[in-house]
Amino acid sequence: MAQSQGWVTRYFKAFCKGFFVAVPVAVTFLDRVACVARVEGASMQPSLNPGGSQSSDVVLLNHWKVRNFEVQRGDIVSLVSPKNPEQKIIKRVIALEGDIVKTIGHKNRYVKVPRGHIWVEGDHHGHSFDSNSFGPAMNSLKARTTSLVTFEQINSPEICTELLHRAE
Amino acid sequence: MVIAGIPETLDVIFLFSRGPWWQSLHRTMLRGILGKTFRLVGYTIQYACIAHCAFEYVGGVVMCSGPSMEPTIQNSDIVCAENLSRHFYGIQRGDIVIAKSPSDPKSNICKRVIGLEGDKILTSRPSDFFKSHNYVPTGHVWLEGDNLQNSTDSRYYGPVPYGLIRGRIFFKIWPLSDFGFLRDSPNGHRSPGD
Repeated sequence: MAQSQGWVTRYFKAFCKGFFVAVPVAVTFLDRVACVARVEGASMQPSLNPGGSQSSDVVLLNHWKVRNFEVQRGDIVSLVSPKNPEQKIIKRVIALEGDIVKTIGHKNRYVKVPRGHIWVEGDHHGHSFDSNSFGPAMNSLKARTTSLVTFEQINSPEICTELLHRAE
Repeated sequence: MVIAGIPETLDVIFLFSRGPWWQSLHRTMLRGILGKTFRLVGYTIQYACIAHCAFEYVGGVVMCSGPSMEPTIQNSDIVCAENLSRHFYGIQRGDIVIAKSPSDPKSNICKRVIGLEGDKILTSRPSDFFKSHNYVPTGHVWLEGDNLQNSTDSRYYGPVPYGLIRGRIFFKIWPLSDFGFLRDSPNGHRSPGD
């Protein structure tokens, strides 16, 4: 009896030790370095999900690259949706703070992106819930998630919303 | 040079009997130092990851600076924040929350939640004759500091998306004269028709 109890205790201790090493390290890695996600929806066609509902693209989200909140115009980013905090949306960065954009379908024709905000749009205009609907997105929302690299090569299409004035 | 334990001593004897003495010396020292360094790095990574998970998902201790939450929280007070309410969407009106600053993503702000989505907020000053109201859009909250005269909050930059909230402050631990749970807002209810 004493022997089998010793075996159970040792097994339990080994399990706890492994658990407390593996779980925090894995969670930190997925939060801070990179994780894998599936893209759903048609708002980024043709770059992402060109096959529509038949096949969803799988992408690698690179958290490490945006740890200082620095994005470039033309990057594809994923951010927490301003309308629904449980959802994440994937869009392309069109303009950074200080830039003036000529919008498509927004209530103001010309918008200057305020400090700490970015202007994001989906590549598939008209089928995208993006800054044309909710205005400039706060840069901090990107903190929760990331910049993006796909497994296939993306040809980035020309930026459709006109970037009128690039702030230096 | 420190050698401890039987395996290391046997190692040394074995090495010394093989090659020239200075090579054996290098090999032993290197193995000991390398082993210790890897162990140190391993422990650091493990504790850093545990700390990240604790601060991200459970909560932590925060020091607040700035006058915008007086008299509830003074400058340089130390408070406890918990992050579970954010993940379970349990933030309510009257809670004091920590959120990422809308104008600077690297800094945090500490304000009280005055209105949740759908609430009607009084945005005119009490001295104005015509009262103006705003509705808080879906997925956003309205934040205000307790020190209304000296606080840049939602009256300045508009409603804040829920996704920016990091955690809820519920307990003050320093200064000891003010130890305990935090008081309600000194400004009374600001949203009509709750």
